[in-house]
Amino acid sequence: MTNERNQTFAGEMRGRVPLKKIPTGIEGLDQILEGGFPRGRTSVVIGAPGSGKTVLGLEFLYRGALAGEPGIFIGFEEPAEEVRENAATLGWDLAALESQGRLFLLQSGIEPDAVLSGEFSLKGLLGIISGKAREMGARRIVLDAMDVLLRLFDEPASVRAQLHLLNGWLKDSGLTALLTLKPRETEPAREFQEFFYSMADCVVDLEVRVVAQVATRRLRVVKYRGASFGRNEYPYVITEDGFRLVPVTGLLLDHQPFGDKLPTGIDRLDALLEGGYFRGSCVVVAGEPGTGKTLVASAFSARACKAGERVFYLSFEESAEALVQNVRSAGVDLQPHREAGLLDIEALMPEAMGAEEHLLFLMDRVERTDPQHVILDAISACERMGGKRAAMEYLMRTLHFLKTRGITVFLTNQTSGAKSQLEISGNDISSMIDTVIFITYVQGDGETNRAIQVVKGRGMAHSNQFREFVITKQGLMIQDFYAGAGGVLTGTARKIRESADALELERLELTRRAKRAEIESLKARLEAELQEAQAELAALDMEWKRVREDRERIVRMRGGEKNGPGPRGQ
Amino acid sequence: MSAKGFTNGKTYHLRLFVAGEEPNSRKARDTVRHLCETRLKGRATVEVVDVLEDFQAAIENNVLVAPTLIIAPPEPPITIIGSLRDVRKVLEALGLPEEGEDA
Repeated sequence: MTNERNQTFAGEMRGRVPLKKIPTGIEGLDQILEGGFPRGRTSVVIGAPGSGKTVLGLEFLYRGALAGEPGIFIGFEEPAEEVRENAATLGWDLAALESQGRLFLLQSGIEPDAVLSGEFSLKGLLGIISGKAREMGARRIVLDAMDVLLRLFDEPASVRAQLHLLNGWLKDSGLTALLTLKPRETEPAREFQEFFYSMADCVVDLEVRVVAQVATRRLRVVKYRGASFGRNEYPYVITEDGFRLVPVTGLLLDHQPFGDKLPTGIDRLDALLEGGYFRGSCVVVAGEPGTGKTLVASAFSARACKAGERVFYLSFEESAEALVQNVRSAGVDLQPHREAGLLDIEALMPEAMGAEEHLLFLMDRVERTDPQHVILDAISACERMGGKRAAMEYLMRTLHFLKTRGITVFLTNQTSGAKSQLEISGNDISSMIDTVIFITYVQGDGETNRAIQVVKGRGMAHSNQFREFVITKQGLMIQDFYAGAGGVLTGTARKIRESADALELERLELTRRAKRAEIESLKARLEAELQEAQAELAALDMEWKRVREDRERIVRMRGGEKNGPGPRGQ
Repeated sequence: MSAKGFTNGKTYHLRLFVAGEEPNSRKARDTVRHLCETRLKGRATVEVVDVLEDFQAAIENNVLVAPTLIIAPPEPPITIIGSLRDVRKVLEALGLPEEGEDA
């Protein structure tokens, strides 16, 4: 076993030509690095305090140790005991690996109260590491917080010399090295940073940004000598299991085709949708506050659970208990399904964490519980995860993740008007949405009613007429406002027909109003477009006038030239 | 010599970790020798550890860079990193008042 290891070790030392990569074991990072860090070479991780560079280094060693590659961790900032404790919170038992000789934590004696007098050399450090590395057959090494070590040198020239010494030693050691440091803007530290950039074969930049009071972390591979790598910025988080990157996969290519039709849990809605929602599709219920979006989502959840399917309901607005209680008053009972373990309700404050953490939370949960359907209520709250861009990213990635798994996605979206049904924080997500249901208020004389409409139904014929959406203690109902062209009167509608004339008239009035509102909004839009076109026309006129004047001037000038002794004149 | 600095009655144990014959280490060794022959005469014991030969001792003492001088006793231990070029800093750390000018 040892022989084999020595052979590869020696082999690497000899043939430095082909670049071999060593998996970090960190899911997502290996994908971005297209295999891992360069084997037997030096990589540098630059990150501000709190960016998780120590965790990244530790995880690299921890996963390596588990995979049979012993490693050494040298921390210049934190005492070894603290490192062990921090690792324990991630569920990593470093002490166990240490006692097995698979990991070694070297504590730096550079305490803050140590006195500095004169120069020193890294030779001692390298001698110590060499000895230890030989003894335990180490393959990986992490030098954490190099900047703290370098602060001890007061002369730039001596730092340069030490860095060259370190670089040479690392090259000869055959160890796969990871150095971490904090970014420095000021000289001379900046110069050292550049030295690190040039000595490393791979440079990874970790950034912590605070947008809208929410911290988001992003990883970027700045450099990878002789290898290709993902060049984007990748959001990452530090979870209970360590460093995690949001996986980056293709776009919409690998989405599952739609499956069978799923009952909506609302009788007439099934008819409007020709049987229900498509399995694996993405449905949005949009509408103003209080229109009953959550009810439509809950009705679907209850119906799916009744059929023995699992639903994950993620609420950004109210607690699970409040949700269950509120929808119960409208005849939708979620509690039995919760008790049966089919319905998993989780309430999260959007601002509680960044968009990446939200995404990973959802991914983790979905991977663990394997639901057939996922409800997000409401996506309009996602902006509170850290701004518009964060919300957009969260939704795109979430939808992509769920659609790839063939999971039905049901979203609610709070909007302020018909025009913004598919807008989340001003961003259009319509390309990801298959079915849109819109609920609006219709003001009647002395009462407010709700109207429901299927706006968009990919892969199905649908009626886009407005119907009345009624919420009663017995449940949710959809009723016809009127029997329009091609509209088929069902039992309910017939009953309505049979009801008092006054009621009929009132409904007609409601329909008329809804229609009028629709026409008015269309009119307003067309008028705005007309105005815009007119303004454009006026601008074009102006330009045309200018062109004409220019031409006239040219003609005049030409005329002048012809009269004068111009050489070009014929 | 003022008696004041010498009558604190303390004894010192100096452990100097060096990296072979590396110049800073050599300088530190010379300084320690000089101190023991002058200000600490008769009251100090010295131990020199070459970390290139005995990395285990360095690890046990949390010594990462060389030269490093650890003085204990007296307690609490004092750690001084570097070639000890600045003798005043060393004396300060030892709690020995500076006397006049070192020749």
